[in-house]
Amino acid sequence: MFTCKESIDLLLEYLDGDMSDEQARHLEAHLAACPPCIDFLRTYRATPGICRRALKKQMPEELSQRLKEFLRQKCKP
Amino acid sequence: MTEEVPLDVDRELLAQAQAGDLSAFEALVEKHRDKVYGVALRMTRSEADAAEITQETFLSAFQHLPEFRGEAAFGSWVHRIAANHALMRLRHQNVVQAAEEELTGPEFNERGSWVEYPSNDWSRRADEKALDAELGTAIQQATDRLPNQYREVFVLKDVEGLSYEQISEITGDSIPAIKSRLHRARLELREAIDRFYNEK
Repeated sequence: MFTCKESIDLLLEYLDGDMSDEQARHLEAHLAACPPCIDFLRTYRATPGICRRALKKQMPEELSQRLKEFLRQKCKP
Repeated sequence: MTEEVPLDVDRELLAQAQAGDLSAFEALVEKHRDKVYGVALRMTRSEADAAEITQETFLSAFQHLPEFRGEAAFGSWVHRIAANHALMRLRHQNVVQAAEEELTGPEFNERGSWVEYPSNDWSRRADEKALDAELGTAIQQATDRLPNQYREVFVLKDVEGLSYEQISEITGDSIPAIKSRLHRARLELREAIDRFYNEK
């Protein structure tokens, strides 16, 4: 069975479904017996979604306007 | 890559733009500018650079419109152009990054067990409708603190939704190297969110 460190090191491969069945079995056996690692897995898995929402950005109106003017000057058919 | 606009609308606009209709091209720009600007801003951390990259991206897209055959969606295409431009800019900055290899991650003892247990499962809050503004700021700051190569991979994969293969093509790095950086970037950002919830 894996240690906590080995389990955390493998989380990306595990969530990507990119590990052998045997490795996945060992990891799941560890997770089943280790509540801190399960909590860690849940929060690790939730991280990209929260970040995606936090990092969504709209272009400021002034810059959008400048972009429009720039393209009108440069883009000739 | 996630498409937020119906692809058939894009295809129609693209066909019109390729036939010389500038207003169709402007409509495509309007639909995709926020995401292009977003990826450039997250990668470069500079509004001025992001604005220039957005200009360069759409100008380059316009200049290459005749060659664009539509194998990929227009949105994916311009995102990749933007990522390439942002990456070139970052590589040219040649910034000395002492912290490049110093992302620490969680701590374990010699037996590989936790030194300190993760204390708070906040994963369900990820589904909450409104994201706390302070949390948003904490995440932005933590993303900005990531060394360039880690931030690039995180933004391209987890924010923009590119595949490992696409990222490898853009960055020239191997997929194992990309995965390793992504894992470490996620650990760092998970930590930032964890700190936020534990300090609340």
